[in-house]
Amino acid sequence: MAMNKKKLLTVAAAMAFGVAIQSLIWLGVLNAYYAQVLTTMSMFIILATSLNLINGITGQFSLGHAGFAAVGGYFSAIITTRIAPPLPGPIVFLVSLLVGGLVAALAGFLIGLPTLRLRGDYLAIATLGFGEIIRVLFVNWKFVGAAAGMWGIPGYTNFLWAYAIAVLTVLFIVNFMNSSHGRACVSIREDEIAAETMGINTTRYKVMAFTFGAFFAGVAGGIFAHLIRLLHPQSFTFMFSVEILLMVVLGGLGSITGSVAAAVLLTFLSEALRQFAELRMVIYSLMLIGIMLFRPQGLFGTKELSVDMLAGMKSKFKFSKN
Amino acid sequence: MAIIETKQLVKTFGGLTAVSGFEIYLDQGELIGLIGPNGAGKTTAFNMLTGVYQPCSGDIIFLNESVVGKKPYEITQKGIARTFQNIRLFKDLSVIDNVKIAYHQNVKYGVAAGIFGTKKFKQEEQEITNKAMELLKIFKLNHKADEYAKNMPYGEQRRLEIARALATQPKLILLDEPAAGMNPQETQALMELIRFIRDTFGLTVLLIEHDMSLVMNVCERIYVLDYGKIIAHGTPQEIKSNPKVIEAYLGEEVAI
Ligand SMILES: Nc1ncnc2c1ncn2[C@@H]1O[C@H](COP(=O)(O)OP(=O)(O)O)[C@@H](O)[C@H]1O
Ligand SMILES: [Mg+2]
Repeated sequence: MAMNKKKLLTVAAAMAFGVAIQSLIWLGVLNAYYAQVLTTMSMFIILATSLNLINGITGQFSLGHAGFAAVGGYFSAIITTRIAPPLPGPIVFLVSLLVGGLVAALAGFLIGLPTLRLRGDYLAIATLGFGEIIRVLFVNWKFVGAAAGMWGIPGYTNFLWAYAIAVLTVLFIVNFMNSSHGRACVSIREDEIAAETMGINTTRYKVMAFTFGAFFAGVAGGIFAHLIRLLHPQSFTFMFSVEILLMVVLGGLGSITGSVAAAVLLTFLSEALRQFAELRMVIYSLMLIGIMLFRPQGLFGTKELSVDMLAGMKSKFKFSKN
Repeated sequence: MAIIETKQLVKTFGGLTAVSGFEIYLDQGELIGLIGPNGAGKTTAFNMLTGVYQPCSGDIIFLNESVVGKKPYEITQKGIARTFQNIRLFKDLSVIDNVKIAYHQNVKYGVAAGIFGTKKFKQEEQEITNKAMELLKIFKLNHKADEYAKNMPYGEQRRLEIARALATQPKLILLDEPAAGMNPQETQALMELIRFIRDTFGLTVLLIEHDMSLVMNVCERIYVLDYGKIIAHGTPQEIKSNPKVIEAYLGEEVAI
């Protein structure tokens, strides 16, 4: 991975933090409930940052993320339950996540190729339709339990797995963004005609963003399957996509750190609202409207929160005290 | 030898014939003007040359090869760059990022190299940054490299758009009313700059202008478009005294 010293330190610190939290879970300081919430949070970081790659960075409005997560979830569970190779658990799990991600990526590629010619609302509707079709396919597929769902999935997911993969996802997307290929994606968001006139094959980069985004959504689906230990087509409804979208919009379309912050915030908010399950979606909708009205660029805009920025703020603060 | 040549290009929008029988040629290294009153079809002609619009009929030969039916990015990769009449910068990106994006088609490192941050990636990124800064320096925009494109004054945005087009490393550059909205001094400086980049980069330039006095001093040959048709072609001296041109511009000052 692209490593200057600062980035290396940030990643090392992030990983150390994850190990520390996992140790607290193993030691029983953090109970099973917290472990579950923190794992879910990590999964949402993967989902939100990867949707941001499509919606925020490349500017293609997709509502199909739940569909890709479903594909990844089911295919990874097929590996661990239906095929179940006689290998150590962690290896089987890793392979299953990769398979889930790759099948989801393939789905993203196949769906992206025709639909990414559509713009704006039309693309949103097409991807929404795709998500629903995927769900209906799983409802009718006997091999994976059809409408009854898939039971007895081994609980391979723990916090550290989800968290480490979330860190890698963020690193992948940030590095991609900072490369010429990532800039090509951003230019499509900014002005597609100008991008094309600058020699950028816009279709190629749209499909690429879609494929990468779908891959990580698939991996997140695999993490989900082996956390909940049960898959049901009903777990991947349109509202699931909306929830991820809310994180991206709240954090700021195009800001990866924004997506991370929003994923953390909304996971905890959703836990806090657990008693008011029916109200949750109403509150989410109101939040979405509120953001659109008062801060359409999201919390972070397209900016990234960095250690430098924090250091800058601190020094400014000191300065003003003098 | 002609670097680009068009043959009987026609473009209609519904019932309106925006351009018809459009025939021009540019030799390597020339600086040519395409003038005509507003609505004459100049921008439409540019859009056909750059693949933004497909001509209804006719052909475009660039470097001995037809480029009709090619996508805009393919045409850019072959060596035709352009600017837009109504500036199309990446407004919310920094000035230097605008230029870096235009270098993309010549980037050799792959997606994986970018993600894993290989040595090749770092070297090439450094080169891109250096080249972009050099280009900005020529356009006197280097001190604004980190500013948002949208925060620059109008004249500087126009210059940045030309710099960005140059970053694609074209052989032919099409400029759509680059002096629009500039004051006379800015315009004069811009025309000199255009001549300068033509000489230093060995470019061929096609320049649209609706105000004919601007192109008289700088262009070697001029095509005049009126109601979608080329009505005159020649040196500035010939154009100036052409009665058809004077008629087309009737009502406008032909003061030179
Ligand atoms: N996309 C379009 N759809 C319909 N009409 C168009 C389109 N683009 C240009 N036109 C028409 O074609 C004619 C030529 O326009 P244009 O090429 O922009 O002229 P110029 O650049 O010389 O001012 C005008 O009548 C204009 O209204
Ligand atoms: Mg025009």
